[in-house]
Amino acid sequence: MIAVGVALFASCTGSERQVPPAKLAGIRVVDLIPASLSGETWQDAEPFLALYASNPRLMAASAFTPNPGGSASATAPIFVSDDGGDSWTLRNTLPSESMTADITHAVGGTPPVLYAGIMKVPGFPLNELKANDFFSPATMTLQAFRVDIDQPFVRTSQVGNADRVYIGLNDFDAPDGRTATVDVSLDGGGTYASRRIETRSTAGQNGPSIRPAVAQDHTVYVAYFGWRSNAGADVTSDVVVVRDDSGATGATPFRDLVDPSDHLPGRLVATHVTIPWSNAPTLGQERIGSTLAIAVDGQHSENVYLAWADRVGTGDIYTVHVRRSTDRGATWSGDLRALTNATDASLAVSANGSVGLLYQQVTGSAGTSRWVTRLEQSRDGFATHQDVVLASVPATTPTFQFLPYIGDYNCLLTRGNQFLGIFSANNTPDSTNFPQGVMYQRRVDFPTHRLLDGSGAAVAVSIDPFFFSVPVLP
Amino acid sequence: MHTRSAILLALALAFPGVEGVAQMSRAALVKQSDIIFIGTVTQVGAVAVPEVPASPRTVVVRVDQVLEKPAPVALTAGDSVTVETARAGSLKAGIQATFYTTGWIFGRGVAVREVGHEPGRSPVVASVQTAAVARARLEVNDAELKAHIQRAAMVVAGRVEQVRPAELAGAPTRPKRISEHDPNWQEAIIQVQDGIKGAQAGEQVVVRFPGSADVAWVGTPKFAVGEEGTFLLHKDSTTGSPLSMIAGRSVPAYTALHKVDVLSKQDATRVRSLIKRP
Repeated sequence: MIAVGVALFASCTGSERQVPPAKLAGIRVVDLIPASLSGETWQDAEPFLALYASNPRLMAASAFTPNPGGSASATAPIFVSDDGGDSWTLRNTLPSESMTADITHAVGGTPPVLYAGIMKVPGFPLNELKANDFFSPATMTLQAFRVDIDQPFVRTSQVGNADRVYIGLNDFDAPDGRTATVDVSLDGGGTYASRRIETRSTAGQNGPSIRPAVAQDHTVYVAYFGWRSNAGADVTSDVVVVRDDSGATGATPFRDLVDPSDHLPGRLVATHVTIPWSNAPTLGQERIGSTLAIAVDGQHSENVYLAWADRVGTGDIYTVHVRRSTDRGATWSGDLRALTNATDASLAVSANGSVGLLYQQVTGSAGTSRWVTRLEQSRDGFATHQDVVLASVPATTPTFQFLPYIGDYNCLLTRGNQFLGIFSANNTPDSTNFPQGVMYQRRVDFPTHRLLDGSGAAVAVSIDPFFFSVPVLP
Repeated sequence: MHTRSAILLALALAFPGVEGVAQMSRAALVKQSDIIFIGTVTQVGAVAVPEVPASPRTVVVRVDQVLEKPAPVALTAGDSVTVETARAGSLKAGIQATFYTTGWIFGRGVAVREVGHEPGRSPVVASVQTAAVARARLEVNDAELKAHIQRAAMVVAGRVEQVRPAELAGAPTRPKRISEHDPNWQEAIIQVQDGIKGAQAGEQVVVRFPGSADVAWVGTPKFAVGEEGTFLLHKDSTTGSPLSMIAGRSVPAYTALHKVDVLSKQDATRVRSLIKRP
């Protein structure tokens, strides 16, 4: 794959398209901004990725990237790739003015169906969308919508020819402040049912992150924050996992995992953790308060991993914890990883059982601080692990344009013998910032570390989305 | 509509007496376009880059001069652009025209969708077209601003004297929701120096705006103490609380949520001129 990338970009003119040598075999890091948008300086934060198991060349990706046509545009874009992530194009197919206020997506069946959950601009209603062919220039089709929700998070599975869609979201119109919800469609988005998954009293609502994960046997796990009280900027929360053993097809889904302490659905993996809710630049110009991820071993649904971030009170700002269950969520390990001053944790479990953990961590201090993006993977529950630094970039530049700075989340997936993911970071073309190498589509000049526009003039550094692939440990 | 526009433009060039019609049509094309260039058709039924699907409607156009484009778009004279035409067969190889387009697919190259084209005589005189498109864009911008002015309840030139958190006393009772998209409503107290519409100099008005730095509000104007400008103000129908307080008095609250709602102080002259324009 590296050879493919080098060949592709070697065909471009001049030294500005040089690709620094990759340091470890098989690892790719690709800036998604295409050559024809080389002048862009936007903060392309909060990236997300969707893959096809049936065709490894097809991918869709998103970020807070605006329609290049400007703020008056009636549509917002997604990125697509038909060559396995070596190159990307931008297409304006989302029914949202210029940009979305939140977006995640996942693939369905063949032809390349894509489901997306967005918060639409203006007004920010939930739009549950479908494209029968995401390479089509047609605007995605609206399947369902409503107001007063937050952070739609899409996962899919297939049963026969039918796509099942699970969209975790925080529904502020849910009764009794139990806002953690999964919109479930068993018919390819034709109809959705809102399933409430919180069964305990809350502090008026749950946290924004409601994260589903689906195994091949149709076991569905969902992780959420059970907010119990708040004082000032700190929220006291439980970290909860619910499970449904039959794809949420029953009348009262997500009731198959009960906590022994109160016999209510939803296993309390951690209780009374402190979530620092800060909607201001707090960690390397990023806000914090909703980091949560869950992944299930697709072929062995008893194995499930969970990551969340809280403040543990030892002088850190925000610590990512990773835990594991090997008995369908009934019991959980202690912290397998505890990563200080980190956020944007994403998890995936490969076909051979290796777990991947993507996260972004601030190192250093003040003007020398850096955002370091790492992929760790382990075959033994993090008793040992391989650590790959994908990027290490200045945390103080560029200055934030809005929040999130790099994202309230990023994305890690797996297919075959690869971990594939996406993160956002400072886009300075400096090979020392990307220890595994990096490929740019946009015009850059590596010797002078400059971004260039179409006429060759210098372009300011900004935040770009970066796709990556890393071989799974054998 | 696009074909009709092209016909009208062609007629206008052939018959100078219909210039006014041509200007209207050009403005309509400009209004719908974000990438405008003079170019020469080099291939029909073809594409310039493989990521764009070829069809009978696609043509490859060599860019002779870029007249308008968004800053991020890399497009310069000499580039080949794929144009999805409004109608198959409407362009032949060798034709030079002004292309009014919107962005379609951005990859190694730019692909655009035709809104319309202005055939003209070949070669097109670039300086003439540049000026004509600039005039049309000014006309479009003026029309859009005039529409905003007409919709505004109040237009004032003034100075922000104070910024304070909004107290939304009249808002419907519902639990406060914690969300990263919370607008964090603020109030700017503006001292009116020039009451252009619906206000008098010396008044104070309350303008609500989102203080949030969240992505959902990134394009929304923010106010700072000492800021001067020309403000197009709309009665607050967004927060659910239509009234505010100044010095113990209940007063209407306004918003200015569109980027056009906040202009420079110098724009007051332009705004007055547009109000007077029929």
